[in-house]
Parts: sequence; structure tokens; C-alpha cells
Amino acid sequence: MDFSKAFRLLNQERIVFLLTVVLFVTFSLTLSNFLAAGNLLSLVRSVAVLGILGLGMLIVVLGRGIDLSLVATMAISVAWAMQLVSEGMPVYAAMTTGLLFALCISLVTGILVAYAEIPPLFSTLAMATFIYGFGRAHMITGTDVVYMPKNMGWIAELGQGHFLGLPMPILVAAVMALLVFLFLKYTKLGAFIYAIGDNLPASRIGGIPVRPMLALQYVISGGIAFVAGIITATSVEAMNTRVVNSNMIYDVILVVVLGGVGLSGGRGNVRNVIVGTLLIGVLMNGMTIMDVQYTIQNVIKSLILLLAIVVDSIVNPRDEQTGQQGDI
Amino acid sequence: MTPILELRNVSKEFHGVAAIRGVDFALMPGEVHSLLGENGAGKSTLTKIMAGVHKASSGEVLLDGRPRVFDSPAEALHNGIAMVFQETSLVPSLTVAQNIYLGNEKFLNRLRGIYIAAQQFLQSLNFGVDPTMYVSQLGAAQKQMVEIARAVHHKARVIIFDEPTATLTPEEKHHFFALIARLKKDGVSIIFISHALEEALAISDRITILRDGQHVVTDDAGNFDRDKIIAAMVGRTLSEELYSRDKSRSVRGYGRKVLSVQNLSMGKMVRNTSFSVYGGQITGIFGLIGSGRTETAKIISGVIKRDFFHGGEVRLEGKSVRYRVPRPAIKDGVVYVTEDRKIEGFFETKSIAENIYMNLLSADLNKRAVISYSEMMALAETWTRKLNVKAIDSNARVIELSGGNQQKVVIARSLVQKPKLIIFDEPTRGVDVGAIAELHHVINELADSGLAVVVISSYLPEILNLADRILVSRQGRIVEEFSMEEATEEKIMYAAVH
Repeated sequence: MDFSKAFRLLNQERIVFLLTVVLFVTFSLTLSNFLAAGNLLSLVRSVAVLGILGLGMLIVVLGRGIDLSLVATMAISVAWAMQLVSEGMPVYAAMTTGLLFALCISLVTGILVAYAEIPPLFSTLAMATFIYGFGRAHMITGTDVVYMPKNMGWIAELGQGHFLGLPMPILVAAVMALLVFLFLKYTKLGAFIYAIGDNLPASRIGGIPVRPMLALQYVISGGIAFVAGIITATSVEAMNTRVVNSNMIYDVILVVVLGGVGLSGGRGNVRNVIVGTLLIGVLMNGMTIMDVQYTIQNVIKSLILLLAIVVDSIVNPRDEQTGQQGDI
Repeated sequence: MTPILELRNVSKEFHGVAAIRGVDFALMPGEVHSLLGENGAGKSTLTKIMAGVHKASSGEVLLDGRPRVFDSPAEALHNGIAMVFQETSLVPSLTVAQNIYLGNEKFLNRLRGIYIAAQQFLQSLNFGVDPTMYVSQLGAAQKQMVEIARAVHHKARVIIFDEPTATLTPEEKHHFFALIARLKKDGVSIIFISHALEEALAISDRITILRDGQHVVTDDAGNFDRDKIIAAMVGRTLSEELYSRDKSRSVRGYGRKVLSVQNLSMGKMVRNTSFSVYGGQITGIFGLIGSGRTETAKIISGVIKRDFFHGGEVRLEGKSVRYRVPRPAIKDGVVYVTEDRKIEGFFETKSIAENIYMNLLSADLNKRAVISYSEMMALAETWTRKLNVKAIDSNARVIELSGGNQQKVVIARSLVQKPKLIIFDEPTRGVDVGAIAELHHVINELADSGLAVVVISSYLPEILNLADRILVSRQGRIVEEFSMEEATEEKIMYAAVH
């Protein structure tokens, strides 16, 4: 009995948190420079963007969807905005244009999912390819990399500045996490997203505007992607659009699923994303210090992702009844 | 003669609720045995035990006089027991011939070979189905034929037909009955479940009637007639106390006309139906499953989108309405309480309080964009007390409650939306007896307070006990209306079966 009680207490979030702590302690004992303040800051900083994207993914996944176009939206909208600045557009106008582009393109994705009823996996995958292809062909001239113009003003500080000794990306990620937390917990729209993810037919019969809400999820995640893009671009003073072809989007899913957000919708919160992000941060940082090959790092990450999904399906069965009693 | 298949004292419980209790049943070789009873009488459960879909909770299943337990439908089929399901179990993306030979394929499976064989086989059954057609392209009746052909092809000794004729045209029925006669001549035993009493009387050798999960009577078909069968189907024993009709109960009068439906049609389920619902009384709608009562209610409340090209008119308080989603209906005060609470009634990850509060939010009644947790707890407190929901506190998750308490939460969710017209679809399905009385009390209070209440039920005593007037639905339309003075179980049942 005690064992089963302990098992119940061990939800995925706690398992991952414990794992993070164990890894953290192991690394700090075995790796000499792991605990240095500089290293810890760079650890958090390196996953700040991942965490912000994770927040966007969280909102979509809570509504029983998935957004594979996050990274493409992020890269193209910010690269385009920076190019507009270089071409002479005022900074604020260019940033607003970039944000509007991100919102519009994700509204299209949302409409495809909500009104055309195309499964999110396919519509966002197609949109990701479309955004990247269209952006490279018709919006971004020159090479894959768009460099940050010199006249970005305070926006450049978002990636490079410090506040109270903390790098700005960390603070931006924290503020975004707080905003998403407040949105999900204290607003009606947040409650609707949970409801739709939990039970779509019941939401519909209860009078929740299901389709507009589904579309809204993607718009919000598109907006969050733009913020993540600004942080990325200002940190490294460039936006490399080839990031769309990297496996970054899988890292975002990894962060969300690893933290314990149920892929079947309705389960999870900001805390899960933070826990997932920290684990990936500690893991990647430790492996980098240990000089583990990039390919091996990928193998380890992918194994962890698979494990997390399996644990997720055992701990959070979609239908509790069938989960407990087997199919009748 | 030993029965080919026999059930002795078989019971089956689902989550502690008995579906059938201590039923004895024997099927003789080469007989056609009809199984009759109301919805929920246990016919499907009983046959599913025979076909290996369910396992009996207690009692014995004997095949050729020897006890057997079937672990799966495949095992039962292997032993010669085939069931033709109501909901078809064919693979839509395969052709007719492939479906017939499914599970019997040779190692080298040549399509040409099975098409020729299937063609001859279907012809021998007099079924006009093209074996090369994909099942997804077939109509309901043709799918039924393929199901039957598959059962016959498996050389089943026992074939169970669950409502086989519901989708067939008269011409196809004629062929079907001829087929049954031929199967019978070949020594195949047949169990026939139907709501069409005349058909059962015409083709069966013996008839068994179930009621409330218990065996009522088994006798030769010749000793039955229509009235006898109906009397046996509706005669009450078990729940008589709960549903004893209070003759002194005063029938509520007609309030203002809240809803009027004229010539409403929608697909095959709702055909040209017309009726009205009045405030301050309970309108009972009785109909067997598939009679279109749920679909009608869902169209009125916007749960099923009403297309423009389907005819008819729905008027709410004199104003013509056409809802595409439930949200505008709820804003106009029309609320539908689902018959399937688990699938569309509540949120399983959420607490009682959150479940109830969600519907207040979605109806925009508190005009809030920001959630107030104190408002939520107060609301939950009010409604759990009003409806007597038994739970540790309002933070308990709904999924952990008993069926009756879940249903109360689902009803509370609807009532916070301040409806003018509330439609209860099977409000007491899967609810224990104590809670049924409480739910009935709640429904009565709603009508007393002036609401227009509709109760849809396929359980006659419930309708008779609750309603102030009774509409009977059959084949997609309201066919008859009874006042409480003239309503009897026999009359209503007579109107509901064709």
C-alpha cells in the first residue's frame, strides 16, 4: 500500500524535478567548473529561448494541439523585421510589422486547425514549411543569416543587457512565464483552453466558443515565438534562418513533454515547462562541459524524450476509466 | 435434445451496476429464437456474453452441454458462434470480398480468386452486392448483408442477429427472412433481436422476453401475440416501488408556449417532426433508441448543426431560430443535458467547483474576464447543497464521484446557465435508485418554478412518473401525444414500436 501511495505521489513533474536535482548534484560534485556563477548563468541563459518557446507550445498542447511552426514563425518574422530596419524602416514600425506578420501567419494556422479541421500535426508542419520557404524566397534577400542592425536601441539590450546582475534573456523568460501563468490560471480564456483540452464535446455543449478559442491558441503561441526570436537575435546579433531546419522544434516539444504536460491536452502548467527546461539546461550544460559529442547528446536527449512520452502515457492515460480497468 | 448453447443463472455487472441478473437461456439446434425487451432490458449484454464480447460475472455458459468460457469474439467464432452487430464491424477500406474472407485468407491471397468465390457465394445467398466494392461505399443495408454473409461464410452454427432488419427495405427483408429459413433448414440456430414484434412473431420458433435484466418468459411463438408480448415487456416488478404511479399526482397545466417545432427534418434521423413545448410543465418524450428523439433535441439546442437545406422551422418564444453551435442557444436560454455524461458532460481533470463554474463563464453570465476563485467556491457551495451532491468537498474531481452524483454535477452545470428551456436526455441512465428519486425531485421543482422542461427517456415508468404530457417518437418523428389521463404503458409502447 505504501508503495502504491508513493507511486501516486510520483507524478512526472516530480520525477523530472528529482532527476534534475540528482543531475545537478552529480555534475557539481564531478565537474570542477560546473558550479561557477558564470557557468550557472550561461546555463539558464542558454535555455531561456527554449523556455519561452516552450510556453507557446504549452498553450497549444493544453488545447490538445501541437505547433510545429513555432521555430519557423520565430525565425522568419524576426529576420524579416530586422531586414526592414536595415532597409531603413523605423525600428518600432519594423518590429510591429514583424509581430503582426507572426500573429497573422499563426492566425492562418489556427483557422486551418479550428475551421478547416486539419489535424494540428499536419497543418502546423505544412505551415512551417510554407513560412520558411516563402520567407526565404520572397521576404529575406541575401543569405540565410540576417544580421542585427546597429540602430536597434533598447531592444538590443533584451539580448545583451543585464539587470541587477542577471542577463536580460533570463528576466524576459521569467516575465513571460509569469504572464502565461497568470493568463492560464486567472483569465476566462485560460480556463477555456484547459476545458477544451480536457473535453472538447463537453466544452462545446457548455457554450464555450471552441473554434475561436482553438484559433486563438495558435495566435498566442505565434506572438510568443516572436518574443523568443527577438531574444535569440539580439543575443547573438543575428537571426540564422537555418534554425528552422535544425531540431530545435523537437527540443521545444521535449521541454514541454518532459516537464509533464500531457500531450492529450488539459493537463499541465507553466511549472511543468520550467522543470522541463531546467532539466534540459542542466543536461546540455553538463554534457558540453564533459565534451560529449553533439551526436551523442542528441541520442541521449531523444532517449529521454521517448522515456518521457512513455511515462506520460502511463501516468496520464487519456481516459482514466480505460487506463485503470483495461478495455471492456 | 441438448441445447446447442445454454446459459445458466448468468449475471453481468458493469462497475457494480447489474445489467443482467440470473438469466437462464437455452438455444436448441436449428431453431429461431427471438429475444425481446425494452431498451436496457439486457438483450445486447446477454448476446454479447454468448459471443465472447463480455465475460459473465457469474453463472455458466454451456456449449453442447459442456461448460465453456470464451475469452474473445474470435474464440466464440472459432466455436461456431457468430454475432452480426448492430454497429457494423466491417473494415471500411477493404472490399466486400476481402471482408468476407477476413481472417481466412490463404498465404498467397489472390484477389481475383476471392472475388470469384465471393461472387458465387453472395449469389447463393441472393444478395445483390458487388464483391469488388469497397465497404465504405456501401449503404447501411448492404453493409448489413455483408455482415450476414460473413457470419454464414464462417459456417457458424449459431448466428446472433442484433436488430438486423432496422436498416433493410421491405424487399431486402423478404430476402433476409428467406435466408433465415434456409439457414434454419441447414441446422443453424438463430438468435434474433428486434423491436419489430410482428417480424419476431412471424419468423421465430420460440420467444424469450427480458425485462430489467431478468428473464420474464420463454415460450413457443405460437402462444404469443402482440399484446401479450407488450404486456410482458412492460410489466413491472423490480422498480415498482420507486415508480409506483401516484394517481393523485396533480398534472401541471400548460404555461406559455416556449418552443414550437414545425416539420423539422434532418438527414435520416429526424423526419418532418412537429411538436410544442410549454413553460411550467414537463414534456416527456418516449422513444426507443434510434427513434430520433436525441437527434431532435440536439438540433434544437444547436449541438448538431442544422443545415439550411434541411426543412422545417424551430421557434423559440415565437422567434425563428437556427443554431449552428450550442453557444447562441445557451445565450437564448436553451440548454441540453446530455445522455452521455462521460463523453460530453463534464471535465474529468477538473473539480466539482471548476466544472460548475466553467459553464457560468462560458455563458458570460458573470461578465468577467478574470476568474474569481471565491465566486467559484461560493457557486459550487450553493449548487452542491441545492442538488445534494455527495462529495468530500467541492475540490473533489467529478470523475471520482458515483454516477448519480456525476449526473447531479452535470445538471448543476446546466442550471447555472439560467435556462428557459432545459432538455434532459436520459437523466437517470446509469444512476443508482436513491439518486433517481432525488433527480426526479429536482426535475419536478424546475417545472414548478416555471421552466419549460423536456425529459427524454426510453424508460416508460420514468416518463409516466415525471411527465405532464407525453410525446412518442418513432422513426424520426413525434407520432403521438398522450395526456396523463389517457396514457398507459401499453398504449405508449404500442405507439413506439411499429
